[in-house]
Order: sequence, then structure tokens, then C-alpha cells
Amino acid sequence: MASISSRRLSKELKELNTECPAGIKLVEASNFDKWILGIEVLGDSLYKGESFLLKFTFDPGYPISAPAVQFVVDSEHEAPLHPHVYSNGHICASILGDAWSPVLSVSAVCITLQSMLASCKKKERPEGNDRYVRFAPENPKKTKFLYDDDTV
Amino acid sequence: MKVTVKNWHAIAHWRWDLGANEPENDDIDGEGDVCGICRVPFEGCCPSCKMPGDDCPLIWGECTHVFHMHCLLKWINTAASKHQCPMDRRPWVTAERTVAKSKPTQEPPLANAPPLP
Repeated sequence: MASISSRRLSKELKELNTECPAGIKLVEASNFDKWILGIEVLGDSLYKGESFLLKFTFDPGYPISAPAVQFVVDSEHEAPLHPHVYSNGHICASILGDAWSPVLSVSAVCITLQSMLASCKKKERPEGNDRYVRFAPENPKKTKFLYDDDTV
Repeated sequence: MKVTVKNWHAIAHWRWDLGANEPENDDIDGEGDVCGICRVPFEGCCPSCKMPGDDCPLIWGECTHVFHMHCLLKWINTAASKHQCPMDRRPWVTAERTVAKSKPTQEPPLANAPPLP
């Protein structure tokens, strides 16, 4: 209970409960292992009117170690159609991988993903989506993504 | 009128001297400066410590960013850090800082008071 992650997350939880950034809402945070957040892109974008769920999974070393973040895909939810988002909900974003920094936070990640969606020009799946989804590990942190596209 | 002081109660207050490049401060949240890694005020201690002050000191980078030393070391000792400052991703170089050199600020002398036990 007194792990680094629980102390830090309880602070983040307090902040999210008092003031969530626009377009982001806390859906479920009953423990310090897994949180669900809702995000939608405000203003004009290809995702107008759509909303998505993000699942954050924390290990006790958070925020030194990055959270595992993916879009929720179930009978009611889909991952956004985006060149960096696989249909299983896995996201190819450098800040979730080798550009993670412990000064980032749950809300910073949500805002980054929001802007990743907002700047999207064409709704499509990443190249090789089917192959990736077939062989992908359950935990997206185990995937070694190549961050080759800085434009989106 | 004659006043006799029967007893008195002294209260001391300490703060880390964050140096000159820390102006009037973007202390918007009224929380004081917090360590970007653990989000605990600098005057508090990192999650691994029980006692703030000298036992849980701060560390300054050449890039001017400040953290609890223990927090920063936890990060720097991971491969993922690539030995970069968490704030600006510049290579982390610990800045030399000696408390004696820090120039006194406009604050009353208690700014120099030693950390409470």
C-alpha cells in the first residue's frame, strides 16, 4: 500500500477528482493497479462525437516505470481508427515506451493521446495491424515499437 | 503597563534554498514547489524516506531542474532514463552546489535556519 506508486497515484487521483482536463474523465479508479479513463477529442477532428476508454495499468515502480496504457476493446468499445492504434487497443506512442519520463502523469498521457487523435489526417489502422494483433503480447509494454513517424 | 512573559513557544520554519533562478515562483497551486517525480513538496521527503531535511536532500542538475535526490537517483539508475533529466531530456549532470555560497534572500534570517530534526 505504501509503495511509491500508491502515494503518487493518490495525489493524481485527488487532482483528477477536483479538476479533470477537458474531454477527459475518470471512469474507474478503485485501486492503484488499474484505472479506466474516458477520452474524447473536443472541437473539430475526425473523431467528433466518438469517445474511447483508456486502460492504465501501474506497477509498484510507477512513475519511475511507465504505465501500460491501451484503449479498451470489448463488446461496447473500440479502439480509435488511427495509424498508431492497433485494433486490439495497443498504442504506438513514444511517451509510453522509450520516451517515458517520471514527471509525466496519467493526465499528461491522456492529453498527449487526445492531441494525437486531434491531429489525425486519415483514419486508418497501422500497417501490419492484423499480423501485430495476432502475435501481440497481452501487455503492450512488452512490444518493442519503432517510433518512425513524428508527424502524427 | 508591566508585562511578564510567563512562557513562550518558538516556531521555526525552514525551506530549501532553491537559488536565485527561482523567481517569485509559479506557485499557482499554493502548494509550494514539489518534486516532479513523486509530487511531494521539496520540504517533504521522498516516498522512501520518513524524515525530511538533510536525510532526504535535493539534487540540482546543470539544467537547473531540482528533484529529491532519492527520486532522481531511482530514475537515473534505470536503463530507461538514458541518463537524462526527466524534465528536459538533456543529459543529467549534477550541479555543484554548496549551501554556504547561496546568497541570503530578502527573507528573514529563518531562511537559513537549519532543518528541523
